[in-house]
Amino acid sequence: MKQRAIAIGIFWVILLTVLTLRAPGFFAGGNLRDMALSNAPALLVAVGMTLVILMGEIDVSVGSQFAVATVVAGLAAKSGLPLGLTVLVTAIAGALLGSLNGALIIGLRVPSIVATLAAMAFWRELLRWTTGGAWIQGLPASFQWMGLSQAGGEIVIFAATALIFGFFAWAMRNLRAGRGIYAIGSASEAARLAGIPVAGLSFSVFALLGALTGLAAALNAMRFSEVQPNAGAGLELKAISAVVIGGASISGGRGNLWGTLLGAAVLAVIAPSLTFLGINAFWEKAIQGGIILGAIVLERAAAGKRSARAH
Amino acid sequence: MLLTAAGIEKRYGGVRALKHVSFDLQPGEVHALIGENGAGKSTLIKVLTGAVQPDAGTVELEGHAVLNNSPSVSRALGIAAIYQQPQTFPDLSVAENIALVNEPGGLTRKVDWKARREQAKKLLAEIGSDIDPDREAGTLSMPEQQIVEIAKALGSNLKVLILDEPTASLTDRETDQLFRVIRQLRERGTGLIYISHRLEELGQIADRVTVLRDGETIETRPAAGTDSRTLIRLMAGRDLSAVFPKRVVPIGAPVLEVRGLCCEEAGITEISFDVRAGEIFGIAGLVGAGRTQLAETLFGLTPADGGTVRVAGTEVHTKNPREAIAAGIAYVPEDRRSNGVVGELPVRANTTMAVLDRISSMGMLDYGAERELADKWVQALSVKTDGIDAPVGSLSGGNQQKVSIARWIATEPKVLILDEPTQGIDVGAKSECHKIMCDLAEKGLAIVMISSELPEILGMSDRIAVMSKGRMHGILDRADATSEIILEMALGAKA
Amino acid sequence: MRIENRAGSERALVGLILLEILIFAIFGPNFFTTGNAFEIVRLGVELGLLALALTPVIVSGGIDLSVGSMMGLCAVAFGYLWRDAHLPVWAAGSCTLAIGLAGGALNAILISRFKAAPLIVTLGTYSLFRGIAEGLTRGVDNFSQFPPSFLALGQGYIGGIVPAQMPVFVLFTAGFYLLLHRSIYGRAMRAVGFSPSGARWAGIPVENRLVLAYTLSGFTAAVASLIYVAHLGQAKSDAGTGYELLAITAVVLGGTAITGGKGSIFGTLLGLCAIVILQNGLRLAALPAELSGILTSAILVGTIAIGRLKSAPPKPEIDQAEDEVKNSQVAVLSAVILAGALIVAGTNVWLVRSLKGPETKAASGNKVVVGMLPKAKGDPYFVSCKRGAEASAAENGVELIWDGPTDVDPAKQNEIVEAWITRGVSTVAVSVVNAPGISTVLRKAREKGIKVLTWDADAEPNARDFFINQATPQGIGSTLADEAAAILGNKGDFAIVTGALSAANQNEWIKYIKQTVAEKYPGMNLVAIRPSDDDRDRAFAETQTLLKVYPNMKAVIVISAPAVPGAGEAVKQSGRKDVKVTGLSLPNLCKPYVHAGVVQSVVLWDTQNLGYLTVLASKLAAEGTLHAGVTSIDAGKLGKLEVKGDNVLLGKPMVFNKANIDKFDF
Repeated sequence: MKQRAIAIGIFWVILLTVLTLRAPGFFAGGNLRDMALSNAPALLVAVGMTLVILMGEIDVSVGSQFAVATVVAGLAAKSGLPLGLTVLVTAIAGALLGSLNGALIIGLRVPSIVATLAAMAFWRELLRWTTGGAWIQGLPASFQWMGLSQAGGEIVIFAATALIFGFFAWAMRNLRAGRGIYAIGSASEAARLAGIPVAGLSFSVFALLGALTGLAAALNAMRFSEVQPNAGAGLELKAISAVVIGGASISGGRGNLWGTLLGAAVLAVIAPSLTFLGINAFWEKAIQGGIILGAIVLERAAAGKRSARAH
Repeated sequence: MLLTAAGIEKRYGGVRALKHVSFDLQPGEVHALIGENGAGKSTLIKVLTGAVQPDAGTVELEGHAVLNNSPSVSRALGIAAIYQQPQTFPDLSVAENIALVNEPGGLTRKVDWKARREQAKKLLAEIGSDIDPDREAGTLSMPEQQIVEIAKALGSNLKVLILDEPTASLTDRETDQLFRVIRQLRERGTGLIYISHRLEELGQIADRVTVLRDGETIETRPAAGTDSRTLIRLMAGRDLSAVFPKRVVPIGAPVLEVRGLCCEEAGITEISFDVRAGEIFGIAGLVGAGRTQLAETLFGLTPADGGTVRVAGTEVHTKNPREAIAAGIAYVPEDRRSNGVVGELPVRANTTMAVLDRISSMGMLDYGAERELADKWVQALSVKTDGIDAPVGSLSGGNQQKVSIARWIATEPKVLILDEPTQGIDVGAKSECHKIMCDLAEKGLAIVMISSELPEILGMSDRIAVMSKGRMHGILDRADATSEIILEMALGAKA
Repeated sequence: MRIENRAGSERALVGLILLEILIFAIFGPNFFTTGNAFEIVRLGVELGLLALALTPVIVSGGIDLSVGSMMGLCAVAFGYLWRDAHLPVWAAGSCTLAIGLAGGALNAILISRFKAAPLIVTLGTYSLFRGIAEGLTRGVDNFSQFPPSFLALGQGYIGGIVPAQMPVFVLFTAGFYLLLHRSIYGRAMRAVGFSPSGARWAGIPVENRLVLAYTLSGFTAAVASLIYVAHLGQAKSDAGTGYELLAITAVVLGGTAITGGKGSIFGTLLGLCAIVILQNGLRLAALPAELSGILTSAILVGTIAIGRLKSAPPKPEIDQAEDEVKNSQVAVLSAVILAGALIVAGTNVWLVRSLKGPETKAASGNKVVVGMLPKAKGDPYFVSCKRGAEASAAENGVELIWDGPTDVDPAKQNEIVEAWITRGVSTVAVSVVNAPGISTVLRKAREKGIKVLTWDADAEPNARDFFINQATPQGIGSTLADEAAAILGNKGDFAIVTGALSAANQNEWIKYIKQTVAEKYPGMNLVAIRPSDDDRDRAFAETQTLLKVYPNMKAVIVISAPAVPGAGEAVKQSGRKDVKVTGLSLPNLCKPYVHAGVVQSVVLWDTQNLGYLTVLASKLAAEGTLHAGVTSIDAGKLGKLEVKGDNVLLGKPMVFNKANIDKFDF
């Protein structure tokens, strides 16, 4: 699985080299900052998704969770809640949605792809039905950038994302809970026998993904002065792709957050680099798909004749 | 008394798995627990480790009742278990495998990698193993995994260690090493509960033996002075006439001729031997000697890169199992649960899985033909089942093995390779399997039997080959073979 | 026991379907008719084919997410081969099927030979196939005018009643039944699904069987694509979007285990029925389409969860520790459900508002019933139109049914019109996503005596009675170009941010923007067109990039309502005072940006008036007041409006800017 991350890394370096030669403006500080800001929320979701996938599960409902949380953030702010509380309430709303997935998957033993597939349609349609697509407008002026200046708000988003990423990157390596997640993904029955609270930990990871999604939604919403209810469309594919491109095994137990960071970075630069290189936008999806498939082929090529570990 | 279980009752649905079972263990004692499959041994172990909750009865450790038992509670109290299937985490390092179950503290505790590695090294050294603590557990062989399991158990403040068939996949040498560790533990005052189907081991290692039958305690007696025959009688509730019903049948012409067979991927070199019609050809050796790999090469799972194989005089080059089957080679694999049968599918589908072509025309299944064929073999091997539509997973281990054998006899092979045919099945089923082998040999099949149980090898084989390090080190006639010679060859070649 | 369970879940599904039929027979006008039964079949065929093909894939323990994208690729390929490569229809069709086979084989090889996880492989081809389809057509190309003999495959009836695609579906059902349940291949796939190594050790050629399952899946997706093209009369790169998830839902609902091994074609058919009948019934009963997604997912989880609860081994006495865990889990579950309900209740502010309109409708009686169909329900533009329409309905005593696809989806539009024909309405008023695609069904509505109006975007002229013409694409295109020219002082670089690359009307506007620029403003230079997927956040990011790549670009034309504020925000945050945005959006969404000076102007007509006029004209048409030859109508609060030929003219597009924008509220 490491080979996959290496293959992607090579691709990334090539792309960046081409950009250096053809469009050096790509590396201007302003552009890097804007790309990072736009993708910070997706990275937060991908962090949670990494934990879920490491555990051998999946969650395809994060896009819908993101949309619900965005609307919650807007409503909370509009009702006059202080901004700190708004963020908190949004994260809690996300955690509740994640917990519902967790309850279905761990409590009722519904396979995670089925439970979250249902949750994905359920929340998205429910939101459409109840909001009718109306935006939330007339938010307090302090909603955007959390009442700070634009630069201040940006720093808060960066700092929050970096802190959270850093914490989980450290925790997955150095906390017993993080190692427990790897253990569950590697052999869940053995984990149970080893005294790891498998049910509780798995449930928490789904709740955590929800909370991170909620937080990401709040941070994303606060870059703007109005709230759109159809946010996060396709976010689940973006997050899963980032994790998979980063080399994590879809069956759990292998992978890490640095790989996910690489995956998210690769996905983040594709669209802007096409604009910078003057390539037509129509090929964007094909390139994304090509990268995933290319990574699979390169991974095998790198692994050579060594037989694959059976899943 | 170290551990006392009294009046344990356990029901699964309508079945009483344990009927008022009592059991005790003293410090520094090895207490063997034996019984046929389904006698309730596993359930009793699960009750002791907290993996299941008893319906009635008490468990006391050092005089204190164990309440709210669960795997984590029992482990904290010092009760550890090593299961037949090693419970390792394949993606994690050996050090972490050992640490995950032993480290104190909750989920929020920080991991000390250096301490983990040192602790692992120390524990492994204690059992005389030099496995690298940084190795990924997925790359370990089966015996190495067992060793890691033992190191895991040693790491906790161990008071009671439960070993569930630890030697099932070990060779004699590895078994000896395990016994050495067990004796060390005993000297420290640890109590050991030892479950095994290899009755001949018990005299060497156990202090007391408890026999379970149909969920009841039949008898507890000192191991010294109790012979296997007595134990078998107690387990089965009847006398078994012969453990190895070897019959002498006329030996015919060579059916399988192997010359200079090599396969780099499987790690076997220059293998040559013949097996004749009616002959049972035993292959002995340590685990990792290349016996299973040889079988897998013959069966086309890992195609050979050199040498020739002839079946009934025709040269064959098997590149996959399909071609092997067509050539008349059948292989009953070692790992029954993952490779031998598909537990969720009914008996009939399992029996006919290797002969789908024969029960179909133009790709369409003929259910009548399938039932007929399945019925025939289920009866021929007297498989005990609720009918051929019952899922194989609902059968006992021995009957599952019979289904696995039936599947391969149904291909009407010329050569039948059996890999550890009686591993992990109870005594009664074992002798039935042996009888089936004799019947098949009588019908003129050439049988290759791989086994780690020396008595089985000695009792059943007409000729015995000994392998080590991917090579074959000589072939003995039945009359010449003794366990000492075989062991010497297996070990000597290794040195 | 396993077999009993399966029969049990199938019984439950049959019960569910009967319940659906019972409910809709009562509440859905004309639901319980033969005609509607066949209509349901017609609607279910494409989805059904995918579900059939996915059953062996899932039974063998895999998954194929690429089938929907494969439909898009095949549709486009077919269009190319027929129109541009001038192949006869049969040859183009055969080549398309070959492409389906090849695409399936690509999945198959990566999964079986490269041993990659099916989820990852098909996630890759999911993007790849759709991407190739978009790349080939540049998102724009829309193939239509296929010969009638081909269209009959999707639109015709055999013997006047049986839909033409039904025999194909029956054939595939029989084929997949034989494959999965009667053949050695199906038996092998089942074994592989339960235990891949067990199957391999039994001499089953595991790789070949997987290749068969995935290749068939690609092939069947190609067949579904051809039927889809024939059904809609058009081939576009967005064909089959989102179908993979619905098909997987149908398969899993039918009792197939997502983990492999267990599953049946019969179950898949039942799952498919449950979904399609629900969709159709909701439309006939004029209930919101969102309910279908909500109910389907609830049923999906419900059936599995109930199955799990029932099959859980009886635990006579659970010890305290375990019990506590269980209690806490139950507590969390209840808390979560409660909280979920609270969230919903919180957002219900809108629910009440959005339901008020439809709820006030009394028992219809002799009222005129108008079915009004937007392109997409959630789009703020159409939400605004809806408000005007509801006001008009209340004022004029019309029963208004407002329904549309949740995302822009031409196939869904057809389905909704079909449902309204079956249900029986006085007038259908459609904002057309795709003119050739929907015109057949509109003609059918006219044959049944239903008045057909188009609004916002027109169909083929002979497919409708009147078009409520708010502004022509040409008018919009030239107005936008004029606005951009005003920003640029008639020369310089500008960029366009559009909605989806494949959105037909937006591509039309782009065409006229280009045309106007070429004719009137030779000094202006279009540097790039970027998609926003009608997502404010994406429009924001795209505009940011454009600002950096083209520092000389001083104007951005944004032609998607939610994208204008996104582009405005990007310009605002960049601090560039020399760049301005103009575009097509709602005044309310853009007010802050217009006042901040980053959005120069917004071009639009009064959307509420458009909704108002559409409902009124629908009523007049149904009553016969509005008929061919009329030159003007009395449009209530809008005064007297001109009717030019078969166009009812609302007026010119308005330009909202700092000076006037606060006077409008929509």
